[in-house]
Amino acid sequence: MKAVVLLSAGLHPVSARPAPVPVEMQAIALARTLGAAAAGLHAGPGGPGVADALGHGLARIGHLPLARGADPLEALVNHLAAHPPELVLAGRCGQGGEDSGLLPYALAARLGWPLIADAVALEMQGPGVLAVRQALERGGRRTITVRLPAVVTVHPAAPAAAAFAWGQARRGVLEVLPVPSGFAGDAVPAPELRPYRPRPRLIRGAASGGSAADRLKAATESAAADGKLMVGPSPEEAAREILAHLRKLGLVPPRQPR
Amino acid sequence: MAGASAPLLGLAVLVAGLLAAALAAHRLAGWRTGRPAAVDWFGGLAALPRRYLHDVHAVVARDPFTARMHALAAGGLLAATLLALLGAIPALGGLKLWWALVFLAFTAMLAGSLMVARRRLPQTPRRLSRGRFSLLPFLLLAYAVGGLVVSGDAALGGVLPQVVALAALVLAAAGLLGLALQIASGPLRHALAGALYLVVHPRPARFASVRDTGLRPLDLAAPKLGAELPADFAWNRLAGFDACVQCGRCETACPAFAAGQPLNPKRLIQDLAAAASTGSNAAYAGSPYPGAPAVAGLGGPLKPVIGAGAMIHPDTLWSCTTCRACVEECPMMIEHVDAIIDLRRYQTLEQGAVPEKASAALSELRLADDAGGRSPAARADFAAGQPLPVLPFEGGETDILLWLGEGAYDLRYGRTLRALLALLTRAGVDFAILGEVEKDCGDLARRLGDEATFQRLAHENIATLARHRFRRIVTADPHAFHVLKQEYPAFGGSFEVLHHSQFLDALVTEGRLAPAALALPGGKPVAYHDPCYLGRYNGEVEAPRRLLDRLGLPRVEMERHGLRSMCCGGGGGAPVSDIPGKARIADIRMSQAVAAGAGTVAVGCPQCTAMLEGVTGERPEVLDIAELLLRAVEAAGDGQEQAA
Ligand code: SF4
Ligand code: SF4
Repeated sequence: MKAVVLLSAGLHPVSARPAPVPVEMQAIALARTLGAAAAGLHAGPGGPGVADALGHGLARIGHLPLARGADPLEALVNHLAAHPPELVLAGRCGQGGEDSGLLPYALAARLGWPLIADAVALEMQGPGVLAVRQALERGGRRTITVRLPAVVTVHPAAPAAAAFAWGQARRGVLEVLPVPSGFAGDAVPAPELRPYRPRPRLIRGAASGGSAADRLKAATESAAADGKLMVGPSPEEAAREILAHLRKLGLVPPRQPR
Repeated sequence: MAGASAPLLGLAVLVAGLLAAALAAHRLAGWRTGRPAAVDWFGGLAALPRRYLHDVHAVVARDPFTARMHALAAGGLLAATLLALLGAIPALGGLKLWWALVFLAFTAMLAGSLMVARRRLPQTPRRLSRGRFSLLPFLLLAYAVGGLVVSGDAALGGVLPQVVALAALVLAAAGLLGLALQIASGPLRHALAGALYLVVHPRPARFASVRDTGLRPLDLAAPKLGAELPADFAWNRLAGFDACVQCGRCETACPAFAAGQPLNPKRLIQDLAAAASTGSNAAYAGSPYPGAPAVAGLGGPLKPVIGAGAMIHPDTLWSCTTCRACVEECPMMIEHVDAIIDLRRYQTLEQGAVPEKASAALSELRLADDAGGRSPAARADFAAGQPLPVLPFEGGETDILLWLGEGAYDLRYGRTLRALLALLTRAGVDFAILGEVEKDCGDLARRLGDEATFQRLAHENIATLARHRFRRIVTADPHAFHVLKQEYPAFGGSFEVLHHSQFLDALVTEGRLAPAALALPGGKPVAYHDPCYLGRYNGEVEAPRRLLDRLGLPRVEMERHGLRSMCCGGGGGAPVSDIPGKARIADIRMSQAVAAGAGTVAVGCPQCTAMLEGVTGERPEVLDIAELLLRAVEAAGDGQEQAA
């Protein structure tokens, strides 16, 4: 099977030096669990952070050189449409760039492929059929089966990336690929800067006392546990229940006695 | 006619000698699979007697019984064999006096052989190997007794009945041939390989009383980095593995072995020797790697050494704290740590096969210059307002450059460093730190085999240091001390480096600090724990003790101290590799302090502090030398104020 791992030019959060994006390195490790012939693909300015992926288990990286800040979507779509792999893996979001996590969605939409988000494990179910174990909130997991080709993003809870091997990075191949004119991508508008505004705490009344074990339980227990399943309720009934639930969470002020 | 069978003894020696030579030649050919090494043959040969009689003896003599045993058995064997061989020459073999001489030599050998046997009675100690080694006393005794009778008979001019003399000759010849057969893979291999290894030793400087302990730089342009196969070791290192006599001294000293982690330096060396030759370690009959996962136990000069399908499990490799206790104890002068680091280099650089937590630390070191990914701006936070001059980016000038090291990020070690700052300020020392441009010295990266990151950090730190003028570097971290002092010179950075205990000791000697006598709570004595990288690696065991004695503290020594001290478990990346064992090394070390009756353990290293402070339950207090000195200096100041 042929898989492509999308690589972005990340920065280390402390040193601000070019650095591989951890979740993308985990994507490489996932691709290797499939026994896939995985290659890296980077559309952007390149640099040592991208090349480092060669030390994390990729033998080859294709590089579509673009100016810093240019939108990589067109170049990627063009390249992947011309050389379609069966599977495109991407990190859930980058690190040190725009970090919006939107690129895989835009790419999947343009390619017309399905996208499965937040994979923690992959397994082939048969030719062209992939089972994706997906990370949900609060440690939940579910398995989705998808027919390839598909785009899959990887969650940080996926197995650890292979450790960096300097010797392998030294031997790996970084191949510069042509970017036809017209696909170089427009500069993404500079983001607007706003002062930081603390967000309100959503869950008031979340356990603050009790033992550490109690607080951990309260924080991690699945919310579904105390939910209520209503089948075909009347709109009034449903609205009442929703309001009651929101009140319980402290998101709606308690009902004032009139 | 002086005993007809006596000259035949010389013949037997000749045959055994030829057999041994043939077997040895085969073994020697095996070493040629190793990489070439620059060897000073003439210097080594000339130095051989001194290396043997002085350096080897210094180690062997730590166990007086074994030392006498070896002198008698080996000396007697060599002398008797040589003399008996010459006895085959008719001119000599005809002399009764000659055979009296041979008789004397065999007497010495017999005494030694009895000691060899005695050592295994009533029970073979755990550190000694069984298998072929159990046979050794019998072979020695057969040769010694047989030789004794034959030569004694000849000395008296042939008084024994023919059959008795013949039987004695057969006994001697059988023993001798048995010994000769041991030369290639049995116990006697150490004699041949050991002598040669002393000549071609990869660290000849250690015989000149230099603590030559810095790791050798790895050529990062080499096609293969580190050692994957036995053939990737230099040939003289392979000879070193063959020199191992399985005495088990390293095993007894190894902290990882004591803690039940899957490492046994003796077995490691044996496995390397087996991998390089026979390819199977089935003949090994000593202590195992405690609790190690099973491996295939197969190898060969051109087969990988590390792996479940090979000789040595990776957990064995990552259990080592690089404390060098094994090297210090080894009578054959084997360099275990060099071998372990060579193997780690291949695993890390070529395979990326590091334990998961160690991999995270290496990755942060590579990308952010600190194993914890902490900001260099936060390194000086511990000072919390105490005066701490920082050098400008370039052109700074100071007398003492204070190297803070990794301990600075640690809350506990911050206390130690604050004490050190207070002392330096009181003594009016002109000092400064590098500030944000100080990077990790690279110790952790290097011990974990990441030579690429180490060399980058070394070059960058050396470039930073070159921008300033200072007289000496002082650091409270023995690991940084060792790296800056012994390992940076290979990359063009030679500095005068002092450990803080040395510098503080000098300040007190010069009278710049005046400590009062200090009384510790409970009046219990203090025990000094030697950091491996200060003591064994750099030979400094005196200055910290001198300093403690100046504080008027009652001092006790733990059973293992000084150059033979025991590791706290914090070196070599062992805390990040975190290979499980049955006990924790730090707990074992702390129990030794308790056994010595110490109420306080004095330390001089951030790792030791962290490891020993991590011991739970009732235990002696852990205080750095600087903290103790500051208390004493402050006590003196208070005393003066009260007097005034
Ligand atoms: S260096 Fe220390 S931990 Fe490593 S094998 Fe030798 S004695 Fe054991
Ligand atoms: S390596 Fe050295 S100390 Fe260890 S068993 Fe062999 S000879 Fe003895």
